[in-house]
Amino acid sequence: MNAIHGSGFPRRDFLKGAGTLVVGFALGGRDFAAAAELGPYGPPDDQIDSWLAIHEDGTATLFSGCCELGTGSSTGLLQIMAEELGLPMTRVKIHFPDTDLTPDQFVSSGSRTISLHARPIRQAAAEARAALAELAAKRLNVAPDRIVTADGVASVRGAPGRSVTYAALIGGKTFDLKITGKAKPKPVPEYKIVGQPVKRWDIPEKVFASFTYMQDVKVPGMLHGRVVRPPAHDAKLISIDESSVAHIPGLVKIVRAADLVGVVAMREEQAIAAAQALKVTWSDWTGLPEMKDLHSVIRNLPEFAEGYPAESPGGVLAKSGDLDAGLKNSAKVLKATYLSPYHHHGSIGPSCAVADVRADGVTLWCGTQTPYGMREAAAKFLGLTNDKVHLIYYEASGCYGQNGADDVIIDALVLSRAVGKPVRVQWSRADENGWEALKAARISECEGGIDASGKIVAWNTQTYGLSGYSRPEYHEPKHGGEPGSLVTAQLAGWDKPGLEEGFSGAAGNFEPVYEDLPNKRVVFTYLGPTSHRQGPLRIRVGSMRGVGSPDNIFVAECFMDELAAAAGMDALAFRLKHSPRARGVAVLKAAAEKANWQTRVSHAHNPQGDVARGRGIALLGSNTDTNVAGIYEVAVNRKTGAVRVERVVIAQDCGLVVNPDAVRNQIEGGIIQSTSRALMEEVTFDRARITSLDWLSYPIMRFDEIPDAVEIVLVDRPDLPPMRVGEPASESAWPGIANAIYDAIGVRMRQMPFTPARVLQALNSPRQAAL
Amino acid sequence: MANTLTINGKPVATDAAPDTPLLYVLRNDAGLHGPRFGCGLGQCGSCTVHVNGEPVRSCMRPVSSLTVRDEIVTLEGLGTPEKPHKLQSAFIEEQAMQCGYCINGMIMQAAALLAKNPKPSVPEIKAALHDNLCRCGTHLRIVRAIQRASQA
Repeated sequence: MNAIHGSGFPRRDFLKGAGTLVVGFALGGRDFAAAAELGPYGPPDDQIDSWLAIHEDGTATLFSGCCELGTGSSTGLLQIMAEELGLPMTRVKIHFPDTDLTPDQFVSSGSRTISLHARPIRQAAAEARAALAELAAKRLNVAPDRIVTADGVASVRGAPGRSVTYAALIGGKTFDLKITGKAKPKPVPEYKIVGQPVKRWDIPEKVFASFTYMQDVKVPGMLHGRVVRPPAHDAKLISIDESSVAHIPGLVKIVRAADLVGVVAMREEQAIAAAQALKVTWSDWTGLPEMKDLHSVIRNLPEFAEGYPAESPGGVLAKSGDLDAGLKNSAKVLKATYLSPYHHHGSIGPSCAVADVRADGVTLWCGTQTPYGMREAAAKFLGLTNDKVHLIYYEASGCYGQNGADDVIIDALVLSRAVGKPVRVQWSRADENGWEALKAARISECEGGIDASGKIVAWNTQTYGLSGYSRPEYHEPKHGGEPGSLVTAQLAGWDKPGLEEGFSGAAGNFEPVYEDLPNKRVVFTYLGPTSHRQGPLRIRVGSMRGVGSPDNIFVAECFMDELAAAAGMDALAFRLKHSPRARGVAVLKAAAEKANWQTRVSHAHNPQGDVARGRGIALLGSNTDTNVAGIYEVAVNRKTGAVRVERVVIAQDCGLVVNPDAVRNQIEGGIIQSTSRALMEEVTFDRARITSLDWLSYPIMRFDEIPDAVEIVLVDRPDLPPMRVGEPASESAWPGIANAIYDAIGVRMRQMPFTPARVLQALNSPRQAAL
Repeated sequence: MANTLTINGKPVATDAAPDTPLLYVLRNDAGLHGPRFGCGLGQCGSCTVHVNGEPVRSCMRPVSSLTVRDEIVTLEGLGTPEKPHKLQSAFIEEQAMQCGYCINGMIMQAAALLAKNPKPSVPEIKAALHDNLCRCGTHLRIVRAIQRASQA
């Protein structure tokens, strides 16, 4: 076991031994078990001991505030700690978030575990190694600068026989030192573990089924709960016919908190049967728009009257030059409107939580991405102080953003509070699809002009969207959270507002990546936060892999492609002409070389026959973030409208690469997931509720549909810090595929997903044919 | 109604009702983590186990259809760290997962394929896994892992 979860033992016992816990030993130095050491947001982050411990057996534990979402980031964190400490990977372990033990690292999202949250871990490990060198110098009676450390041993430079192990120096004891910021992390050229394709620690446990996912957590005396949701988003509970489940054996209780209804039973299948059989009468509600009208409804919603969230930029996101003059002086002006749908996260394992609500305190086992924010939200929901709630994080099914992981916690709290025993709530597939926060649907209107030389002289994009952020935690660096963002809290009658910081997420990567775009205007009109039960549209939206960024890249890179074709230029050459930043140029060229890019005006090759092939390109990134160029090769069947992505080439510069195999795995996965989203995914709904509640109504890509190859060029930049990995490459897929379809059949796909029906419709549209 | 099932070669008694899906007996009575709840509809494959060598969606299979003579094998029974199934070794070698939630189904489905067809082609592998869903997009690595195991 390389991961340790909350055991109920106090922190000091973890210092004694990694696997075997010995209670009641004496220990010098700081004792973190003392409640006074734990603030409302956990151990102080300025202490080495808050971050790591070296045990008597010479192994070390990282107390991580980061959640592992299935990306392998926890292996990356261990590589970084092991590198700085001077320990082999076989002797490091990670302790997942636990509000009794680990520091607050806010939300594990946005591909930031390695790029952002590894920094304090690296510094704590560097400080620990400096402290070990000091201790060794005293022990070996030499000056500290003569000490070298490797593989858990400190020795005198030039005299390897004079050495002492870390275990002998501090094993089982605390450092009791503040992090000074003075210890210098290792220079990159000395790295031996960071940069290596280290195999992930969790994969063996997962193939032998010894791994414990959140869905596997069992606690003594645990009962099983299921929820019964309204058949319409804002329907109100009228009555419950308890006699409808009188025949179900093992039923413990029917629970109601406002419009949150649940059942608790002895066995899991009994809870399922009771939830299915329970007759509940709800009020009628049909407040959703017709699905076919969705984008025009969004387009016509009023701007959010209360303005923009404090930490987000206002409606005009980028502005330069004189747009009107630029349009007036254009030789050609293009207009295009792009539409994107709602998406499900599609976690294979629906959300699950266990809660034990007792008079003297609450224990929560959950798969949240935001341990301390969620802990505070849970405490507020129950009317308790933070110290009365102990939250223990377990890795759940991959989430790709805000699925139901936090909402199900409120369900578990309500059911456990009602029965006074620990209750496990497992959402059904329909609970997950029907009540999770969705990737937001968006509409963007573009207008652009080129001059006679094919240079862009006007660029205007106007996007309309609702909040893409409805998590329970405050925006970093403010600690804590609010339950009001969670739809389950809303169902349970919680009437205080949630957090509303959506605009920043909805507008990520809004600025075009090209520096040479004069007369530019980029506007995001914020229509406010919304959920199934509140707000202007009553379809709940939240974060999903990149939040608004993939939509912004879709719009910008499709429109760039349309302008390239209007200018009669090759799509790659047109992009280079408009001055991407230096790292953008490097990835464009690397991808083009690997893909053997065919230089020509798109669709000029005019392929004949039923199956037409084409290639498309997309670029994203910034000076301070990952840069990606993606080239997509598609085959389009003109008769059926079916699109198949055959080959994808990605060139990525994400700074220093911590684990190249993990980075490749993330890129491959991101491309396949995003290709699925581009080609076939669209949440469906009627006037009352979401209707894409299973895998038949919400198909995702299967083995016979995936690209034949995803080829990856990693542009390693060890001179730069590690940057985001999970999201960026995936964001090239939507425009890359749309542009490839244009190259193949000469029609622009401006509405996702690019289903066979939409491709045929576009092929048969007279307006498209005129392009 | 008491029933005894043979799970990974050992008898397991359960008093689950006859219409209880096998999945809940495996997870809650036998305490196994391999078979996973994904949809409860037989659509995703994450609950897959072998019954007499055939891949079965345990979320759809009532325990009343099984007797002590039926050999039920889960991921735990397929191999161990000491004696791994060649697919388990290959999935580690290829690092063929991200979150890993679907991987039980991928390995169990592929093990049933390899038992009948030890050297499948890539199209045969993809056809065999058609009804197993992965959301992380690890498909290319999964195919490579199954190819590696078939060559072991």
